[in-house]
Amino acid sequence: MRETLPRMEEELQEIIHRWKWVSWIMVGAGLILISRLWYLQIIHGEKLRKSSEINRLKETKIQAPRGLIFDRNNKILVDNFLDLKLTITPQYINNLEEAAKDISTIIQIAPQHIMEKVKTGEKKYGPFRPVIIKKHLTLNQVVDLKFLQWDYTGLDIQTTIIRHYPLNQNGAHLFGYLGEIEKNQILSFNEKYKPRLHFQSGDIIGKSGLETIWEHELRGIDGFEFVEVDVHNRKSISNIAGLWSFEPKKPIPGRNLILTIDKDLQEKTYSSFLRKDKIGPRYGSAVVMKNNGEILAWVSYPSYDPNIFSMGLSTAKWMNLVYDPTKPLINKVIQEHYAPGSTFKPIIALAALQEGLITEQTLIESPKELVFGRRTYHDYRKTGHGPINLFSAIERSANVFFYKLGIELGIDKIAKYAKLFHLGQKTNIKLDGEIAGFIPNSQWKKKHLGEAWQPGEDLVHAIGQGFILVTPLQMAIVYNAIATSGNIVKPFIVKKITDINNKEIKSFKAKISSTINNDQIAKEHFKTIRTALKKVVHGSDGTARWWKIKEVEMAGKTGTSQVIAFSKENIHDKCQKRPLKQRHHGWFVAIAPAEKPEITVSVLTEHSCSGSSGSAPIARDIIHWYFKNKKENNISSVSNKPAKI
Amino acid sequence: MNIQEPKLSTIKKLNWSLIITIVTLLIIGLINLHSISHRADSTTTHLFYLQLIWIFLGMSVFLLISFINYHIFIRIAYILYGLNLTFLILVSFFGNVLSGSRRWLDLGLFNYQPSETFKIILIFILARILSTKRSWRAMTLTELIKPLCFILIPVLLIISQPDLGTALMILIITSSIIIFAKVHKNILLYFIFFILSISPIAWHFVLKDYQKNRILTFISPGRDPRGTGYNTIQSKIAIGSGQFLGKGFQKGTQSQLEFLPERHTDFIFSVLSEEHGFVGSIVTILLFLFLIIIGFHTAFQSKDKVGVFLCVGMSFYMFWHMFINIGMTMGVLPVVGIPLPLLSYGGSSLLTTMTALGVISSVSYRRYLF
Repeated sequence: MRETLPRMEEELQEIIHRWKWVSWIMVGAGLILISRLWYLQIIHGEKLRKSSEINRLKETKIQAPRGLIFDRNNKILVDNFLDLKLTITPQYINNLEEAAKDISTIIQIAPQHIMEKVKTGEKKYGPFRPVIIKKHLTLNQVVDLKFLQWDYTGLDIQTTIIRHYPLNQNGAHLFGYLGEIEKNQILSFNEKYKPRLHFQSGDIIGKSGLETIWEHELRGIDGFEFVEVDVHNRKSISNIAGLWSFEPKKPIPGRNLILTIDKDLQEKTYSSFLRKDKIGPRYGSAVVMKNNGEILAWVSYPSYDPNIFSMGLSTAKWMNLVYDPTKPLINKVIQEHYAPGSTFKPIIALAALQEGLITEQTLIESPKELVFGRRTYHDYRKTGHGPINLFSAIERSANVFFYKLGIELGIDKIAKYAKLFHLGQKTNIKLDGEIAGFIPNSQWKKKHLGEAWQPGEDLVHAIGQGFILVTPLQMAIVYNAIATSGNIVKPFIVKKITDINNKEIKSFKAKISSTINNDQIAKEHFKTIRTALKKVVHGSDGTARWWKIKEVEMAGKTGTSQVIAFSKENIHDKCQKRPLKQRHHGWFVAIAPAEKPEITVSVLTEHSCSGSSGSAPIARDIIHWYFKNKKENNISSVSNKPAKI
Repeated sequence: MNIQEPKLSTIKKLNWSLIITIVTLLIIGLINLHSISHRADSTTTHLFYLQLIWIFLGMSVFLLISFINYHIFIRIAYILYGLNLTFLILVSFFGNVLSGSRRWLDLGLFNYQPSETFKIILIFILARILSTKRSWRAMTLTELIKPLCFILIPVLLIISQPDLGTALMILIITSSIIIFAKVHKNILLYFIFFILSISPIAWHFVLKDYQKNRILTFISPGRDPRGTGYNTIQSKIAIGSGQFLGKGFQKGTQSQLEFLPERHTDFIFSVLSEEHGFVGSIVTILLFLFLIIIGFHTAFQSKDKVGVFLCVGMSFYMFWHMFINIGMTMGVLPVVGIPLPLLSYGGSSLLTTMTALGVISSVSYRRYLF
């Protein structure tokens, strides 16, 4: 029996009562939902809209090319190359095993090695990050891999910009090389270069040479583009992006450096180290500088190929470079110092002239040895020289002549004159790792070695041995000062900075750090020394008389930097018969043309026994080539007239 | 019987405001579904067309039930209950395992989920039991024993599947109906006290880790943004980023680019909110509330108590599904895997919902018959 009776009054009341609370529930529920909607969409709408954009937009970096480096004639020295690399995205590779097999036939990497790379990449960075399988693909490989892309998704050929050094080993110490930024550098670099530049882990930066010194100019500013991706990080093919458009940020290429370097001369300088004579290839360094401080060529030998750093260097290869006894990683022009040997004698001569100890014609007896105190000091010539003047003393590099001047001057005077030429301090050339060399004095010895200066040491230091240490670049500065009668120049390598359109941004002028004035050293004394230096090459007894140049008169000084002290018995032993590590270093510092010098060449060859046979031929080749090839090109600002004889 | 029957045509006797609201919501659902399945690279393009078929079937069920005398359901309620209980037990042994629990029975054409149909069948059972009550006075404990038994047997089975969400839904819907029928205040208080006292035990012994996780994540969604909290966070981003007017049809990046999980089913409301904003969401919520109020209104117009309880039951069914689903997408309630009636993609959901609404329609149709 169904209830079909009309409703009673009491029942109506019940129903109205329930109607009420059902209505309240509905209103309450509606209010809860709508107020929550209001909270999310209106109050937090903007913020959440942004979150949704971050969600779907993946920022991808567009690599900015690094600035290029040119020589003074706009010939390219450091370049950028496009590099092609093969990547696999673990997420999309459908049949890794098959793919690895097919790929391995093209790139010659074992299939299990490829699979391993993909798997470790997936573990480390997740399935969406492409794993680099091989860099530096050849074009043939790319063509073959392109075909494989039809069979396997997830294979990609990506392009990156890598640094290229067309001169290879030559100039590596000057240009430097690139490498990944170290974790502890990121913070300090960002602090140093903010807000223009930003560094993050994985960035490639200059590690040495000009690349690191000029990082802030060479470095470009990476651009960004926004790619719309779905939750699987796949590029979206829909055009939802039309709703909001995101302008990609274009990369800004780095600035170019125009150097003072002459590419051709640089190549000549480098090749002149590869000699085929009795001594063979020379280890050491050479720097060629114009009289205003512009560096024309800069070689440290042996060298390394900076391109291998761009191509990825194995630890073993790196260790080989680090532990190579010939120190290929060291920039020997400024990062290594040597005793100047006889190349120091002109400074002693200038001091003696200035102090009035001698005139240019004063004759001093120079026998084969000098007994001083309890020791005997030798000359290289067993017969001695007899009474000679300053010109002959420098021409023949007679030791006893300078021993005697040394005794008269004493170490503190010697140090004073050496310091006039800025020895013992950095030249402050803008390159990394420069060392200052060393000029001792009596105070220093007492303070640091706790001993008084012995008069016998004056003799040793007068011929550039003992505690004195100089870099080849410092010697170039000294001889350039002699050439210019007292100008201590500030050497520099970067002439100009230009932007991508070759518009000049900055240019650098030659600077003189200081001038040795007439009261310190009279001008005529410099001229005297220049005449003497000319005799070293052109005199009949000159220590470099074998290296005359037809086109131009060269002046210079040979020097021998002793590696170890020798006893009386072995001093006259043939240097070439000693073990390599005990052989002397050879110096030759030259200026040319002798009458009106334009360039200075400083050459040091390690363990080559003598400056005359080790270093002088290199200097000769450089100067010879320079005046033969470059004078016509009007490279030099100084007069074009042939030098007077 | 001598009572004059109002002379109304069949068409006119149908509750048209109910039908129009249903159709409007179905169209909103279709637009929404089209938006997220239109893309050429989408793997879900076919869902739109499948849903069209389900809607056609659902509307047929709705109309069929509208013209059936709802007392039939009351008469066969026990048979349906028995059959469904058998299915439920079968599912526990032969069901397809989906995300860790046995809920489905593969019937070839679609997966049949007995726990879903229990929601409707229990409403039939309750309507039958409660309508025999002579007056509207509050129920005593002894009167409650019978309905509680009917409810608890399937609920315990469903918990053991384990499908806590559906079990809770059944408890919420059925207790709403019982409370509507009026229960003694003291009994209610005891009941609440009982729930509170067993909840720590349930936490330790009944709840699975993933269920605990869901509850913890609801309390603080940030605790596991890539895991359990992911759905809620992405859904909130989707809704919030819609702002006032929405991103526009087919332009919801959260849903189009698949950041939104379960966007065809449980999180369909987030898609709507993202693309149509505050305005579109409010319109949809109001349509739902209107639909539910029509249901309750029909209950009060009903000529007999069976009709009252059927309509109230079906309305609560709609209400709780709507409220919990939308609340979940907005992060007001924890994530429970229940679809939004009429809008979510899915055959079982649509057919059960259309059955529930058909019953309301049937009661409405028959209000003139006496």
